[in-house]
Amino acid sequence: MGGLLSYFSGLFGSKERRILILGLDGAGKTTILYRLQVGEVVTTIPTIGFNVETVTYKNLKFQVWDLGGQTSIRPYWRCYYSNTDAIIYVVDSMDRDRIGISKQELVSMLEEDELKKAVLVVFANKQDIEGAMTVSEVANALGLSALKNRKYQIFKTSAIKGLGLDEAMEWLSDTVQQQK
Amino acid sequence: MTDSKYFTTTKKGEIFELKAELNSDKKEKKKEAVKKVIASMTVGKDVSALFPDVVNCMQTDNLELKKLVYLYLMNYAKSQPDMAIMAVNTFVKDCEDANPLIRALAVRTMGCIRVDKITEYLCEPLRKCLKDEDPYVRKTAAVCVAKLHDINSQLVEDQGFLDALRDLLSDSNPMVVANAVAAISEILDTSPTAQQVLEMNSVTINKLLTALNECTEWGQVFILDSISNYTPKDDKEAQSISERVTPRLAHANAAVVLSAIKVVMKYMEMLEPNSEYVTMLVKKLAPPLVTLLSAEPEIQYVALRNINLIVQKRSDILKNEMKVFFVKYNDPIYVKLEKLDIMIRLTNQSNIAQVLAELKEYATEVDVDFVRKSVRAIGRCAIKVEQAAERCVSTLLDLIQTKVNYVVQEAIVVIKDIFRKYPNKYESIIATLCENLDTLDEPEARASMIWIIGEYAERIDNADELLESFLEGFQDENAQVQLQLLTAIVKLFLKRPTNTQELVQQVLSLSTQDSDNPDLRDRGYIYWRLLSTDPAAAKEVVLAAKPLISEETDLIEPTLLDELICHISSLASVYHRPPNNFVEGRSSLRRSLPPRSASGNNVGDAVPEEVLQMQNSGQSSAPQATVIPGADSLIGDLLDMDLGGPSSYQQNQMFQTPSAQPVQTTAGIDLLGEGLDSLLGGGSTAGDALGGLGDIFSGGQSSSYVPPQEVFLPANKGKGLEISGTFARRNGQVFMELTFTNKAMQAMGDLGIQFNKNSFGLAPAAPINIPSPLPPNGSASTSLPLSTTGAVQKMEPLLALQAAIKNNIGVFYFSCTVPLHVLFTEDGEMDKKEFLSTWKEIPSQNEEQYTITNVQHSADSVSQKLRNSNIFTIAKRNVEGQDMLYQSLKLTNGIKVLAELKIQPGNNNFVLSLKCRALDIYAGVQLAYDTILHN
Repeated sequence: MGGLLSYFSGLFGSKERRILILGLDGAGKTTILYRLQVGEVVTTIPTIGFNVETVTYKNLKFQVWDLGGQTSIRPYWRCYYSNTDAIIYVVDSMDRDRIGISKQELVSMLEEDELKKAVLVVFANKQDIEGAMTVSEVANALGLSALKNRKYQIFKTSAIKGLGLDEAMEWLSDTVQQQK
Repeated sequence: MTDSKYFTTTKKGEIFELKAELNSDKKEKKKEAVKKVIASMTVGKDVSALFPDVVNCMQTDNLELKKLVYLYLMNYAKSQPDMAIMAVNTFVKDCEDANPLIRALAVRTMGCIRVDKITEYLCEPLRKCLKDEDPYVRKTAAVCVAKLHDINSQLVEDQGFLDALRDLLSDSNPMVVANAVAAISEILDTSPTAQQVLEMNSVTINKLLTALNECTEWGQVFILDSISNYTPKDDKEAQSISERVTPRLAHANAAVVLSAIKVVMKYMEMLEPNSEYVTMLVKKLAPPLVTLLSAEPEIQYVALRNINLIVQKRSDILKNEMKVFFVKYNDPIYVKLEKLDIMIRLTNQSNIAQVLAELKEYATEVDVDFVRKSVRAIGRCAIKVEQAAERCVSTLLDLIQTKVNYVVQEAIVVIKDIFRKYPNKYESIIATLCENLDTLDEPEARASMIWIIGEYAERIDNADELLESFLEGFQDENAQVQLQLLTAIVKLFLKRPTNTQELVQQVLSLSTQDSDNPDLRDRGYIYWRLLSTDPAAAKEVVLAAKPLISEETDLIEPTLLDELICHISSLASVYHRPPNNFVEGRSSLRRSLPPRSASGNNVGDAVPEEVLQMQNSGQSSAPQATVIPGADSLIGDLLDMDLGGPSSYQQNQMFQTPSAQPVQTTAGIDLLGEGLDSLLGGGSTAGDALGGLGDIFSGGQSSSYVPPQEVFLPANKGKGLEISGTFARRNGQVFMELTFTNKAMQAMGDLGIQFNKNSFGLAPAAPINIPSPLPPNGSASTSLPLSTTGAVQKMEPLLALQAAIKNNIGVFYFSCTVPLHVLFTEDGEMDKKEFLSTWKEIPSQNEEQYTITNVQHSADSVSQKLRNSNIFTIAKRNVEGQDMLYQSLKLTNGIKVLAELKIQPGNNNFVLSLKCRALDIYAGVQLAYDTILHN
């Protein structure tokens, strides 16, 4: 029965899914957003505030919110949590110093009630750079294995090269559709 | 169970509903929700709680929705300063939008968001918009710079926006130029530091003039105002700018016309006064002013207030237009009163008949205020035009016959002035005046009548009875009337001592014993003592000849007038008050008319040019600058101001040893002081020990700078007595160096001098000491020592000194400017610690910077030179090749001034920073530095 419903909703694509792209500053969130939307690499400046774009992937419409990662902006992430279907959490795989901070932000975010049902996709970004942490290193550093009651997956990506984004979106759209 | 349940509400309410709608998926619903939010906001409901939700609607391609969100932001960003940061990225994006309307909208809204935290993020987008390809965006961005400057001026200056703004003055689009000009003038009004960057020069002015012809009327106003703030480099430039501005005089918009008039009025100052071109300009100014008077009453009023200033500055502009100022029956009262004022200013011998006929009509109107002013106007005509005095007096008499109470009272007030102006001419009407004694109920009229009775006591047989009748209700009278009554009775007594003794005693005891008014008591005591010690002296004092009253009353003081001329077409010109008087937070920068350009041929050789310019900028119409206060106030004041010259008694009081040569006396005192100094081991130099001789070497290097003498009182104003002089400081005392020249045919004697209250309490400390009498064509010089313990009253300008000189012919007034440096005291040297702590204590907004150009001295010779004038260098520091001199000085009234003088080797321009608690004296100190360093 659930399959049938999802079939219809997939057919009409009526409802926009709400996705948040979060992560520390400089992780590559805005680049990922525009890579997903227009398929190109655009030059970005630090996002003081937010970007919102509609991304269509496989007949599914996503309303993607890219929030700034500066320390001063992080407190306002919570204003965007309600009705969120999925979170794309972007990690700079080169930034070993701040991976701890990244973990803290992730953990405290996932504790929020409003995000209980949200799917989590972690992007271990900047894999094109030599010497970057591997996916498993990132997963360990973030403590993903400790997550319970959460559908999640981690992907190695490079927004600049366009690596891994397709797979990640594929997984994401499937999972989101199954959720409903 | 706890009571907390009462605090958790289950009601969702309107805000909650709106919140849900704002987060809706449907665009239409979202827009409706934002509209509802704006509606609530407009009626005053607090919807700031929805801030994040509304901001989330900001990124949309729907222009209508975007505008609504922006509107919300402007209103609530201030109440949610932290959250406002979430809007920044959208602004950045919108400033790069393909649609110029959106770019302009974004930059405009950015300027309205007054949140400190986010302003710095907005600099980049603003920079882009200032260089936008679309003029609409550029013009909006220009205004945004001014708004940003208001929030954070430092940021704007650091980011180089001022330069960008200046570049916009050369923009190809006139609207952009106009907005840039508007932004620049707003910035200059609040920030003196922006001056260097935004200073106009002939190139930018030229661009403005080009844009002037093409932009909208309000743009033209901004451009013209900005041009009026520019000082052309010579008369040629002034003329060519005037030429290009004059076509604006024919504009339909009153604001454009007035602004153009302001430019022309200001630039005319620089032109040769009698040149053909000026005559032509004067002719051109009249028609537009007349045209303004056919507009609505409100505009008429503004025009009239401005005309009032213009007429005071240049009466020739409207001299042939008297008729347009005649009052129409349906003019509102405020227009009527203003017209009346201008009519009097324009009255002269040729049109007096017409004016008088008008005024007579007005005096029979119904509006009380207007009638009163008309009656006064008749009096002013009589004083102004001697030939018409007789007709005016008879008109006034006619009016008195009407027995209309307030008309009679006003008439009596003005007749008193006429008596003063034309003594021994119209006293025959006193009888008529006395008939109306009973009807006078206003203090001013009563006081005037009493003055008349006292002044002419010898001609009024029953003067004693009349005054006695007033005395009955003495306690209930207004102070003004009490004072007059006291004086009048004393006059009566001095004129007719028999039978009036009792009356005098009565009034003296009433005013000294039964009155709480200190003025009255003091005057009473003075009379009492005068009368009891020396009745002859009392007679001389009380019945002394009175100075003539001036023709024009309530003229605006010349420096103020010049400043107001620079503010024509602004609120200042309507209030007749300088802007810093009623606008808070305006820089104290005062505008003044430009000096006549140096290429003109009227620069005296003897006077250094800078000095001349400084003086001129203050009062370009110097010679007639002496304004004597209105006649009404003089009556009282002059009696107090003892013009009889110091009597022998006074002299003895002041100087226990009457000395023939005051210079010597003071030198003696000073030698004593120096002796003490050297005893105390102070490092007083040998040169100083010769203090008494300093006078002889006054031209030498070691003494304080003495400006050259200038003419204080020209012979034609002083009935043949010409006075020139200057101020000097020697041996710790201020001297007034005076030269008296007798250009009359008869000898002069009995010289006496008296000062009006002034800012620094200067007063003569000795009588004038010159050989008397002064023969015709003779000349004599003296050094008049001045004390600084006299009566203090803040003058405008600060350093003005009004003096009265009396001789056997009459009493004359002149005013002069005291150079501030003679008031710098010898003990002005602070120690370093005190300097440091005082510098820190004084808030930095008190600091002002000046550049002193073209100084031909090194740091050392500068300190020496300044030390001679009591400006003490406390410390010297070399910072990156620049010499920094830290200096202090102290004024006679104890005000301390700290200064920092920055000298770069190889650069003749010194930078002077002043810090002091009294901002008023900065101009004087700066001028003192300037003159000392250039001489």
